[in-house]
Amino acid sequence: MSLHKILFLVLLWAGFVVQGQNKQLLYDFVEIPQAAMVNPGVEADFQWYTGIPALSGISFQAGSSGISVNDIFANDGQRINDKIRDRAINGMTPRDELSGTFQVEFLIFGFRGRNPDHFFTGGMYLEGDAIGYWFKDYAVLAFEGNADRLNQRFDLGHLKTRGELVNVFHFGMNKQVRDGLTVGGRAKIYSSIFDFNSTKNRGYFVTRPGESNIFVSTLEADMQLRTSGLNSLKDSFDEENTAGTVIKRALFGGNLGLGFDLGFTYHLNEQVVLTASLLDLGFIYHTNDVKNFTLNGTATIEGVEVVLPDAFDDPNTDFWEDLVDDVENFVPFDDNTNSYVSFRPTKLYASLRYNFGEPVEGRASCDCGVNAVRSPANRAKYVNSVGAQLYVINRPRGPQAALSAFYQRRFGNILSMKAAYTVDKFSYTNIGLGMSLQAGPMNFYVMADNLLAYRNVAASQYASFQLGLNIISWGAR
Amino acid sequence: MRLLSKCFIFCVVIIGTLSSCIEDQDFGQYDEIEVTPTIEASMLYVEAPETMINQAPANVVFSQNFNFDAFSYDAFSERVLEGAVTYIIENTTSKQLDITIEFLDEQGNVLGPVDTFTIQPTPTAEQQIIVAYGDSGRSIEIIKNTSSIRVTTTNRGDNVSVSTEDDPKIIIKSSAKFRVRIK
Repeated sequence: MSLHKILFLVLLWAGFVVQGQNKQLLYDFVEIPQAAMVNPGVEADFQWYTGIPALSGISFQAGSSGISVNDIFANDGQRINDKIRDRAINGMTPRDELSGTFQVEFLIFGFRGRNPDHFFTGGMYLEGDAIGYWFKDYAVLAFEGNADRLNQRFDLGHLKTRGELVNVFHFGMNKQVRDGLTVGGRAKIYSSIFDFNSTKNRGYFVTRPGESNIFVSTLEADMQLRTSGLNSLKDSFDEENTAGTVIKRALFGGNLGLGFDLGFTYHLNEQVVLTASLLDLGFIYHTNDVKNFTLNGTATIEGVEVVLPDAFDDPNTDFWEDLVDDVENFVPFDDNTNSYVSFRPTKLYASLRYNFGEPVEGRASCDCGVNAVRSPANRAKYVNSVGAQLYVINRPRGPQAALSAFYQRRFGNILSMKAAYTVDKFSYTNIGLGMSLQAGPMNFYVMADNLLAYRNVAASQYASFQLGLNIISWGAR
Repeated sequence: MRLLSKCFIFCVVIIGTLSSCIEDQDFGQYDEIEVTPTIEASMLYVEAPETMINQAPANVVFSQNFNFDAFSYDAFSERVLEGAVTYIIENTTSKQLDITIEFLDEQGNVLGPVDTFTIQPTPTAEQQIIVAYGDSGRSIEIIKNTSSIRVTTTNRGDNVSVSTEDDPKIIIKSSAKFRVRIK
């Protein structure tokens, strides 16, 4: 398989299986420059930093809230069709999801301004983002059909999915506005490579005892699938020019949008810190390479109906074609190229952290101490931190939350580790570990979630990792 | 030195943790997945009043081919496995009637046996007939090749009597219930 085919398939796969990632280990991990990406108001003590291109920030997450690979493919002697029926068709609900995300940073930098209270960040990253909820009633229809299910409504609203691949350019500023309070903001320009969403479907299909014939079937549909960029990708695949098309659309050649990140860090007292951030308050306006599909209307049929003698008035009447035409007229399947707006999946983070133990001498060029308030660069860190974090993401079926408890331990200025226990819809046993290693100016970090699931990867319903490589300077001492 | 040893221990823990296990999986089971829903819907509804029966020449009330392409769509004909056609016939007229149903292919050839149902005059109850196709019935090829259905109604009674029922008529209802293989 050629490279462009692999790239095309990877991009499509990424778009279909990924969705906003909870970066609870990275959040407020102030030793790592990328912590500013999840809270622009983070306290940064760096003079400047830059990421190693394409290696500075790589993250991936995938989750399935209802089922795992092991549930279906375990070599347990049970019939796979029984497992699908019991665990997927009947075992999952329309709120269960398959989702995930990936992010690759191509460029990231940060530097302190002339005013040492100001810190600027910027860069570019590629993000894939998608979610698909379990289309339960569609699955029941597909696996079992409508026979012997009189009066059961199959809900067409169970089809709810969205996804996108977007390149993000960002620039932000972080400022200590007063003692113990740091705020930050970031502007983002989104360059959408492709997007699809079908999240506001309504309607049903039902079979009931008929009034004239044996059964009456009713389809009431109000459905819509909106896409942009997919035709370009498909054409580029046929023309064997996928990479060129992706790069072009990533660099402002696709559909553009605007967004903002906001955040703050506030010291409630010497040892207690409150933080919060709101990410991706933004939208993308899709006008380029748009293709939308709609199915709207209501049709009720009882088969071909022939009422004599009137039906024979026209001997050329084709009752079957009339029936098909009626259904197509009552429930037309149309397409259009109307522009549309898609909103980014907005995320909210918040944390409350308690620092304790010995202070760790900072690297910044200053006379530092735990009570220093001149700037974040002057504030020494404690050896230990413990706290709780909240994460909420806006999803098509409403906000989805995760709650984490964490402990962070610093070993001098070289090594810092963070452990977190997270509860969310994917897992109640998610224990993650993160590490930041500082070797001279080189910073390396790696994080992984749901480590207990590695006892049997196939049974895991959630997997996540992040890693990156940066060069950091704290200025001359 | 102490720090390095901590780093070492941490790395050992991470590597140990990430040296993950996986229980025995059999992805070959994918080939065994069967998606064979059973779908059900009405087919054809025909009604004719008693006045039409009384006026029919040679007692043939009507004999008509009804185009019915539902079975011949590739999406159905290439996937259908087995099933049944159900007929419910109501006769509220004063005559005995013969109802003949033939499945025809695209060229008008009769497929399989011809079903003739003799329906007694009112006050008989409605008559239900189920004709199976597939392993437990007639050849499923009949269904796969059906392009139209010919319905013939023949009057086996007189041409003058009138039923005492309100709005007397002959009604032929039908539905199809078939299992199809999606995978």
